[in-house]
Amino acid sequence: MGIITTSKSGRPVLWTSLVAVLLTGAIVAMYLAPTEQTMGDVQRVMYVHIAVAWLALLGFVAMAACGLAYLLSRNLWWDQWSMATCEIGWLCSTLTLVTGSLWAHAAWGTWWTWDPRLVSSFILWAFYSGNLILRSGLDDGPQRARLSAVLVIIGVADVPLVVMATRWFRGIHPVSPAMEPSMRYVLLASMVGLTAIMTLLLVRRRTQLQHESLVMQLQMQADEN
Amino acid sequence: MASKLWWLIHKDLVIEYRVRQAWPAMLLLGIIVAVVFNLQMDLLPEQRPAAAGALLWLAILFAGLVAIERTGAAEQQDGCWDGLVLFPLPSSLIYVAKLAVNFIALLALECVLVPLFVVLADIPLLRHAWAMLLVAVLGSLGMAAVGTLVSAMTHGLRQRGAILSLLVLPLLLPVVLAGAEASRLVAVGDVGTQWWRWVQFLGAFAIVFTTLGIVLFGFLVEE
Amino acid sequence: MTNQKSAIQAQRLSKRIGDRRVLREIDLEIAEGECVALTGSNGTGKTTLLRCLSAIARPTSGKVYWFGRPAAADPAQRRLIGMVSHESRLYAHLTLRENLVFAARLFSVADPGERAEQLLKQIGLVSLADRQVGQISRGMGQRLALARALIHDPPILLLDEPFSGLDRSSRDWLARLLHERREQGRTLCFSTHDEQQTGQIADRTLTLSGGFLTGHPVVADQSMEENRHRHAA
Repeated sequence: MGIITTSKSGRPVLWTSLVAVLLTGAIVAMYLAPTEQTMGDVQRVMYVHIAVAWLALLGFVAMAACGLAYLLSRNLWWDQWSMATCEIGWLCSTLTLVTGSLWAHAAWGTWWTWDPRLVSSFILWAFYSGNLILRSGLDDGPQRARLSAVLVIIGVADVPLVVMATRWFRGIHPVSPAMEPSMRYVLLASMVGLTAIMTLLLVRRRTQLQHESLVMQLQMQADEN
Repeated sequence: MASKLWWLIHKDLVIEYRVRQAWPAMLLLGIIVAVVFNLQMDLLPEQRPAAAGALLWLAILFAGLVAIERTGAAEQQDGCWDGLVLFPLPSSLIYVAKLAVNFIALLALECVLVPLFVVLADIPLLRHAWAMLLVAVLGSLGMAAVGTLVSAMTHGLRQRGAILSLLVLPLLLPVVLAGAEASRLVAVGDVGTQWWRWVQFLGAFAIVFTTLGIVLFGFLVEE
Repeated sequence: MTNQKSAIQAQRLSKRIGDRRVLREIDLEIAEGECVALTGSNGTGKTTLLRCLSAIARPTSGKVYWFGRPAAADPAQRRLIGMVSHESRLYAHLTLRENLVFAARLFSVADPGERAEQLLKQIGLVSLADRQVGQISRGMGQRLALARALIHDPPILLLDEPFSGLDRSSRDWLARLLHERREQGRTLCFSTHDEQQTGQIADRTLTLSGGFLTGHPVVADQSMEENRHRHAA
């Protein structure tokens, strides 16, 4: 919560309080939601799981769009967005795997299994991680932006093929779970809350990256003068 | 343009023939992986096609990566890569040439590994030789398309080999799955609609990534 | 000279590598038939500038023109440029002749075999033509690299430190060769950290330091004028 409360100027406070309200609402809703009959409280992890899984996928598409925008415009501004999206996306992707695994252990009696969606989520996580590692091997600047952009574009083209290939093998993942209406509202609340906080993190991280690059440039100028 | 493409490919093949920088390592790794995998296969006859299909394509993937990595590294010595860029050629032509060299290497690898799996795993992959050939050709094309692109991406990177495999393995999962299933179907003699669907999938994969490579390679060549 | 058309022109050329700004808004013009020397101590970006001028590297901002047209907008334009760098760009496991023939073919030279033979004679390495490049000395390799850059007889020749590592006789040979090309009206630009070489061969010497060019980077009076206005504004 530290990140949310540290803003100094007026406008960010407004945003952070809005996010805080949404997130608190989502958490409260998760407590109030009816307990699932067969699985009990473990089922509540679904509210987080579905939300972060959706964000991880959305983040990947957004990252590829930023990469494409960079290649077309050659403006490093897009690369900062791409980088921030990658980090937040990686976080969501990791959370997807962890929460999914917790749920699978309770529901299927196993932490991990061969299932189309599980494999696809894992591959998504591998793409996020691969991009982070590729970036860490390159110096800041246009080259890193360019290579990373190409990688995420081929990655986003690969995702549907991964999903298709794995789905043609049989799967056990619940495709559209039956839910009570109240459960659907809680899910909606949690998705809104988590999307809000991840967006906030994203924007803040992007600003941070921008400042980093600015500091670097000023430092260079100071060194030269 | 076609003749220039040929001279680009010819040059790499001549060098490979003289120095044997990629193929022996690739073939040896492929054979070792094939043998080690098959050591563990104490399976019932009806389980064998599924297991062997998957292992065959994993062996092709791991050994193929070695070849792709090495052909890419060779071009970087003595600034030869800059030399290629200075030629009056569209960068997509350089991509297609490198893709072709990697594709030929993968086909050579499969010529060794497929018969080896027939012997070691005792599965009749060659009973429908044409069906197996089609799967091998399309699968190799997809692998070469992705491998060549990512190999150019990791040019001049610290720990190039490690990063290359790290990026390529997840990208090629669809090829491995499709290749494994298609090979299993060939082995059980069921080369019908299901097999054809996987073949179409491999074809689509190859087309998508060859096209992306042709479009995006220019971004990787520039400095 | 002011009436001649420009062979190479750079406008506000900047190049960033990692977080270093190696070149900063460089304006440069080299007229057709001119020979320009580029000096500056090591690590000042001479190589980077030549790589940008030859369109191997893409500028972070700014433009390069060859004979008034954007550089390498069309791959066929690359025929205008020959470049020698500190790396030979030769395949160590192909023979001398094979290296030249390969390059000739990709540059669409009319008779690749004949052209290779001709250049091998010119650099005095005919007797070693069928030896692999990995087995010849560094000095010979440098000669061959030069021959490779000249294979398509480019109107513009860029050379990165061509004199370094050469013995006395090779230096004289290279100086003669550059002189010859100048006589033929070809454009030359070479970098060097040896001030002595520049005066004998070059029409003009430019110095690169801190990412800026000093000397007289822009020839034509008109563009000098423009430049002054722009900086005043």
